Amino acid sequence: MSNRGSIRHGVESSWVGAGGLPTSANQAVIPSRRGFLQTAATGLGSLALLDLLGCTGVLADAPRPDFNGGLHHPAKARRIIQVFMNGGASQADLFDYKEELVRRAGQKFDPGGGVHVEAATSQPGNVLGPPFPLRQHGQCGRWVSDLLPNLAKHVDDMAFFMAMQSRTNVHGPGSYLMNTGFLLPGFPCLGAWTSYALGSLTDNLPTFVVLPDARGLPYNQKGNFGSGNLSVSHQGTVINAATAEPIPDLRAPATAKFITPDAEREGRELLARLNRDHAAANDDNAMLEARIRAYELAAKMQISAPALFDVSDETEETRKLYGIDEPSTADFGKRCLLGRRMIERGVRFVQIWSGAGGPSNNWDNHSSIVNQLPPMCAATDQPIAALLADLKRRGLLEDTLVLWSTEFGRMPFSQGGEGRDHNGGTFVGWMAGAGVRPGVAHGESDEWSWKAAKDITTTYDFHATVLHLTGIDHERLTVRHNGANRRLTDVHGHVVKAVLT
Amino acid sequence: MGIVGTWQRLFIALVALVGFLAAMVALAFGDEAKPFPAAKAERKVDFVRDVQPIFQRSCYACHGPQKQTSEFRLDVRKIAMTGGEAYGPNIVAGNAKESPLAQFVAGEGDTMMPPEDKGQRLNAAEVQIVRDWIDQGAAWPDEVAGNEADKNDWWSLRPIIRTPPPNVVVAGSGNSIDAFVRQKLAEKRLPSATQADRRTLIRRLYFDLSGLPPTPEEISDFLADEHPAAYENLVDRLLASPRYGERWARHWLDTAHFAETHGHDQDRIRENAWPYRDYVVRSFNDDNPYDRFVAEQVAGDALFPGDPAATVALGFLAAGPWDESSLRDIQEDTLDRQIARYVDRDDMIATVLNNVSSMTVQCARCHDHKFDPIPTADYYSLQAVFAGVDRAHRAYDEDPLVATRRRELAARKSQLDRTDEAATTILLADDVQAEVDRWEASLADGRVRWTVLKPDCFSSAEGSTLSPLPDGSLLSGGKRPQRDTYTISATIPAGGPPLDRVSAIRIETMNDNSLPHGGPGRQDNGNFHLSEVQVFAGDVQSKPLALAAATADFDQQDWGIARAIDGLDLTAWGIYPHVGKPHFAVIELEDVLELGDERRLTVVLKQLHGGGHLVGRVRISATDAAPPVRLDVLPAEISAILDRPRGERTHDERLALARFQQRQTVLAEIARLPKPSLVYAAASDFEPDGGLHPSPEPRPIHVLQRGDVKLAQDAASPGALSCVAALPARFEIENAKDESLRRAALARWLVDKRNALTWRSIVNRVWLHHIGRGIVATPNDFGRMGAMPTHRALLDFLAADFRDGGQSIKSLHRLILASATYRQSSLASTIDAKQAAAAVAEDVDNRFLWRMNRTRLDAECVRDAVLAISGRLDLRMGGPSDRQFDLRPGIHVTPIVDYAKFDLDSPAGRRRSIYRFLFRTLPDPFMESLDCPSGDQITPQRANSVTVQQALAMWNDAFIARHCEHIAARLSSGGDSTAEQVDALAQSTLGREPRDGERDELIAYAERHGMANLCRLLLNTNEFLFVN
Repeated sequence: MSNRGSIRHGVESSWVGAGGLPTSANQAVIPSRRGFLQTAATGLGSLALLDLLGCTGVLADAPRPDFNGGLHHPAKARRIIQVFMNGGASQADLFDYKEELVRRAGQKFDPGGGVHVEAATSQPGNVLGPPFPLRQHGQCGRWVSDLLPNLAKHVDDMAFFMAMQSRTNVHGPGSYLMNTGFLLPGFPCLGAWTSYALGSLTDNLPTFVVLPDARGLPYNQKGNFGSGNLSVSHQGTVINAATAEPIPDLRAPATAKFITPDAEREGRELLARLNRDHAAANDDNAMLEARIRAYELAAKMQISAPALFDVSDETEETRKLYGIDEPSTADFGKRCLLGRRMIERGVRFVQIWSGAGGPSNNWDNHSSIVNQLPPMCAATDQPIAALLADLKRRGLLEDTLVLWSTEFGRMPFSQGGEGRDHNGGTFVGWMAGAGVRPGVAHGESDEWSWKAAKDITTTYDFHATVLHLTGIDHERLTVRHNGANRRLTDVHGHVVKAVLT
Repeated sequence: MGIVGTWQRLFIALVALVGFLAAMVALAFGDEAKPFPAAKAERKVDFVRDVQPIFQRSCYACHGPQKQTSEFRLDVRKIAMTGGEAYGPNIVAGNAKESPLAQFVAGEGDTMMPPEDKGQRLNAAEVQIVRDWIDQGAAWPDEVAGNEADKNDWWSLRPIIRTPPPNVVVAGSGNSIDAFVRQKLAEKRLPSATQADRRTLIRRLYFDLSGLPPTPEEISDFLADEHPAAYENLVDRLLASPRYGERWARHWLDTAHFAETHGHDQDRIRENAWPYRDYVVRSFNDDNPYDRFVAEQVAGDALFPGDPAATVALGFLAAGPWDESSLRDIQEDTLDRQIARYVDRDDMIATVLNNVSSMTVQCARCHDHKFDPIPTADYYSLQAVFAGVDRAHRAYDEDPLVATRRRELAARKSQLDRTDEAATTILLADDVQAEVDRWEASLADGRVRWTVLKPDCFSSAEGSTLSPLPDGSLLSGGKRPQRDTYTISATIPAGGPPLDRVSAIRIETMNDNSLPHGGPGRQDNGNFHLSEVQVFAGDVQSKPLALAAATADFDQQDWGIARAIDGLDLTAWGIYPHVGKPHFAVIELEDVLELGDERRLTVVLKQLHGGGHLVGRVRISATDAAPPVRLDVLPAEISAILDRPRGERTHDERLALARFQQRQTVLAEIARLPKPSLVYAAASDFEPDGGLHPSPEPRPIHVLQRGDVKLAQDAASPGALSCVAALPARFEIENAKDESLRRAALARWLVDKRNALTWRSIVNRVWLHHIGRGIVATPNDFGRMGAMPTHRALLDFLAADFRDGGQSIKSLHRLILASATYRQSSLASTIDAKQAAAAVAEDVDNRFLWRMNRTRLDAECVRDAVLAISGRLDLRMGGPSDRQFDLRPGIHVTPIVDYAKFDLDSPAGRRRSIYRFLFRTLPDPFMESLDCPSGDQITPQRANSVTVQQALAMWNDAFIARHCEHIAARLSSGGDSTAEQVDALAQSTLGREPRDGERDELIAYAERHGMANLCRLLLNTNEFLFVN
């Protein structure tokens, strides 16, 4: 290599900096200039980071311009917190008020025109009106259920997608679609793409963190936060906030008594020395050097991560705001608070899940809206409202995007009396914060809240819009895999301009 | 500013680095900030490597194989160099300035290419490449000249041409491979590295062929081996070892995306997936010829019916994920179900065609393939090939004799099921009729006669609507309560067959179209849970009659009929997944009930499980047969026929009786056969599982416009790729209803010697795993968007040699491993410094193999090596997988899987990694950090990442820590000094003794902190983790 001296080698990792350029695996794609600059500049100061895939990573020394977060255009959002209602939150009961459902409650569901009505897991029942009242709130007059009194206060900060549409009525494919843009397993999710495209803002923490419900993982388990054909470093790091070691493998296991602090410290030094000697004797050694660097960064993370989880420095008022001392809100509230602490410390993407997979304790309310929906609302309403308020007062909402998502909606008719079956035909999501036009509602469902009718937002449109806000053109963020240039939005997706400032 | 420009197109794996450095520098600082002048290329631009990928990406959409706007195309040399409308020619070789193409892509004039929204614009670096290429003469090699007339004219589709190895002098002991490689090196003026030393070679060979490190003894033996064929002998020994199959099976399982759970939201365990894994291991160890290996995995059941292993091989088609919710649980008549079926077959198609043919056919699902000559019609013909199979637990007999007998019986049974004249003739033949008579005589006495109790009073406790039907049954409808209790009373008629006492009752749960899945239950899945049965003499009284025993025709696992009479409301009888057919239970009274004057009986059916698990249709009968009364095998209609005197039976009744008896005989013999084994595989005949039923004949497949099931077009008939011109693209199938013939036809198409794709694909795949990079760098894509072969003649030489020479993978290994190319050092430093620098400048990613590639150990090699060094590796082969996690039932289908709770010292933790249980959505984090794939996606080549997570896992994971203790214990057990132990540890981890100077440091560290800590350290070195 002719210019070894002037180039640096880096480790490819979402934890430590730009997770590699948006390059293709077997077809060369040159990143945009901005992407290159940004990649070179983030995370590790002058140490540029690149994917090192059995090949030499070579990159010029670069000055460090101010990071603007955008890969293809200036970014509005530097980081994202997504709260995900696992199971399919019932849009008609929460946000999508329909007179017709109240009026015709108990009657046979008949959309007219001889249309075949089908439901995924049941025989369609009669029209089911929302058991809890919805009221209009804020300047914008958005309808919100009485079950969400705290969130209702923030409607003027939110942009609603009132006619979102899935391609399926089944949890597995639906959750994959909403997270990865494909109905099938094995594709990178939104957080992984973000990590890949934008890299990290910190050396000390993972780029993409997932905080699952304390009761368990959502439908598809870890499949929803995978990195698919991107490097494994971009997958969501699952942090179990409730356990003693929230980040796996950050420390030697307690059972390994032989690893004393001295052995650890001296071991690291000696290992670095051995590895450096080895690298010196082996040319084509970028990957070797990258591994040396990876150990240095691992040590750094070990030191800085614990402070993240120690919330004792939060005020009493903040604890109350998130409801972390109330049984009903404790778990979700704590995770929302951690989410804020993470993005403050440079985590790029935090995904907070409400509800585990399964027949209960989630938003998959087949058997009874009356019994199953209120506890889910009670657990999340105050914490999410607190998150919005807290981000706002700290100025973080300026460049943080908050997403409220679910994999699909629920049917306007009943299942087995008072529950609702899955409905990919229409559902609701909202976003708030960086670059989001506050108080708007985009799209409309039909008179039943059965199918999306006007200004439909597909899952692809939603992803395109989120990427747009982070400075990414969804059509240009591709990776070649198994014969196709894969992207989050497959071959679809339009940015929903109506929700942008 | 240094300039080292090259396409970094190493490993096609997941995230590759593309560093076009000269360009990047220009890009980064040139076009806006301009602190540096745009760099000029210092080396020759290569069309295939540098230019064509840009054309492919940015230009082909409008000027390529599918579309030729302005009749200009950039995939055909002749047109590219001469065409160009008003501006033509677009390319003026040697003069970029005068070439309109260069101006267009740079946007210098009034035309900008590609136009907005038509393709990705070239950046400054890419524009410079195009300019340099034109300035340097616009060299465009003949091999990729393209052909306007024939879209099919593509290197991978042309017949294999076996050219003799070039006449090149290869120093030392080379073979024909080296002749090809050296010729290319000479052409490119590249040097070649010296041969690696023996110490390097043995470590390389061991990990390559067995996935394990050589022991210190094996190393010293090899170093001391003076036999001239020491190397070849070592290769032979390794290939003969069963460890070889365990290592190479893993590569194939990656491509098959094998795992042992379904994936998706209901990530259920596939208890019977492992036999396929064992089949692959055995196939490699036995050196199963490749055509047979492929044919078995696509249609082994049809092509090799006498060989049980060939059925197990069908695990290949079912290896990928499966969407249980969509394909089993949701309503049958939904669009979601239909979509899921197409999607499921899509995975089978990709599994076969990506891996065996290296063609990305799945791109043609929504539109004709954009770049390759694959129309959607071909794609849906492939869908039709798999139209009759599902993924299921497929029964097979390990004993071929049993398999043969079972086949005969199955044929006999389906013959009996037919209603045509031939079947009638058989059934009415004298010998059969005589058998029927003998049978009737034999059961005359012992037959239980049931009297249907027509309910005269019935009620539902929770408001189900019970409607009486003419046959004496009750149909439940109306609102569906969570739980319910039916109370059914009947007066036993005095007429008819005399019934004065009751010894048992029969509860029939029956089907009805109004019920989900046809019932017999009302739950959405067709099931019910009968918690308790109570029988009362007369009406409901304080005390029910005591019940002696209960038997049912089918018991759901853990929901047996005994639970309906155990006095516990919490337990119940269920019949899932055998929904959609009637069931019955016989309940025997403790004491025979003498019917008094009242002649009245009441049966209470408690259904208290919840979730609407109610019986949908029920009929009660009673008998006075002498106890014990157990299951009555005779269906009601057969009983009725038998009740009629022989002379009064109609022709149809005689037929029905004979059919029943003959069927029973066949079924009884089938039942006496040894229980079949199960493998999770493609199947068209399997036990129904809830809403998953086998399809009696192939499902109709239509060409779908834009891949949309709502836009179904013409029906598709089975076939394969029309671009393989030597073979018919549509199959002639004798019996369209026999789905296995379709797969058999595809298998024949795949392994036909004229199908060049197959042979090129496999030799490239084997080459890739030895060399670290394929001759074609995209092993699963030989299309226009894939990489071009670096050594086309060599690829064809190997393919022809392999195809025509017995298709032995082991022979192919020997050929490649014997080459000087494989035996090269991976170090450029073994070459003269100036030459090495030139080689790096010209071919930094070593496409032309001027040295060997260094590779990182994959996840399995790391884990197996650690186990081997600790002396705890258990070499037992095969069988059910080791679950290296704590498993608890989850809230829903997917269990809770905790890897941290696994006891690392337990027997399940000691076998080779290929025997690990692979959980799709919950993979082992340690293995995952080392790029072990989850089985969600086809993985022809693994990623080779370096990450912080990986460093943390290697440094802190409990597996490493625990085994460091084991290794330390093993080292100290011999009573050696610390120095000797340090030497031994270095030998087994690094394959060498510590160097002087290094040794003292290691000893000092070991003395201060113990051998376990030193072990942890050495396992974390790059020298351990990489193979030179």
